[in-house]
Amino acid sequence: MQEISFRNDILPLKDKLFRLALRITLDRAEAEDVVQDTLIKVWNRRDEWAQFDSIEAYCLTIARNLAIDRSQKMEAQHIGLTPETQEMPDALTPDRQLEDSERLKLVHQLVNELPEKQRTILQLRDIEGKSYKEIADLLQVTEEQVKVNLFRARQRIKLKYNEIETYGL
Amino acid sequence: MDYKYIEQLLERYWNCETSLEEEQILRAFFQQKELPAHLLRYKSLFVYQEVAKEEKLGSDFDERILAEIERPVVRAKRLTMHSRFMPLFKAAAVLALLFTVGGVVKESLGSGSAGVVYVYDQFENRATDPQVAYEADTARVPVNKVVEKPRIENTKQ
Repeated sequence: MQEISFRNDILPLKDKLFRLALRITLDRAEAEDVVQDTLIKVWNRRDEWAQFDSIEAYCLTIARNLAIDRSQKMEAQHIGLTPETQEMPDALTPDRQLEDSERLKLVHQLVNELPEKQRTILQLRDIEGKSYKEIADLLQVTEEQVKVNLFRARQRIKLKYNEIETYGL
Repeated sequence: MDYKYIEQLLERYWNCETSLEEEQILRAFFQQKELPAHLLRYKSLFVYQEVAKEEKLGSDFDERILAEIERPVVRAKRLTMHSRFMPLFKAAAVLALLFTVGGVVKESLGSGSAGVVYVYDQFENRATDPQVAYEADTARVPVNKVVEKPRIENTKQ
């Protein structure tokens, strides 16, 4: 296997890692921290790079685990919130780029309301365009489980979206 | 235009039976401006997938991460017991050297004067006469002769 360079092979993954972390933590600042921690962690284990089949999958796995850790910590901190703030958490405030369209905002919100596993799988499949096998390896589950989760995620989005389309908000 | 194919793809998409390529076709299809009414409602679902792909980190991120990564290399200086006491060893060595050199210098300077016994009254009688003042010491001569005396007594026995 050829030499892996941090600048050329790992740093360009940052946006992909960021999107995954953002999908899990639902917070830009947290997601950015996750990417930074991931890259530093990967860098510190540079002696082992040659052993990995896919450095990208390795980075994504680390990013996902770190993001889940962080979002759990965040949830623990949010216990004392009042009902009004819980109805409209930070996670639902749309990102700047998505602001221009109400509909996109709605989809964004629907996707982010999914359980973490479905959200991650939907992100990897529909946005990053990964195969079922890659996702299964990355999440350390079977391909069947990936399909089941993806199916539920798509069905749920379709259902919710149709409801809102048909009956309005 | 016939949308049968797209409808079919969409149905298979909901059932997770589409391949990655077919999903790409769907995304491309929903990028178009003109869509039939019954498909229009799903437009934003697929447009969202494209838009969400554009989510990116700030441009200053690279610099920060590279600074973060290159820092530990500078920091990674471990002090061993040996290197920690090196300055002390050096100081001790310099002190030892100074003492040795000092001792040698003192020794060589001191020996010049220490071996000499000044006998000032040796030339007392002649000191007034400059011509003989520095002549060899003649006082020893009679002393040497005195040593021979007991020998004579021994031979008599």
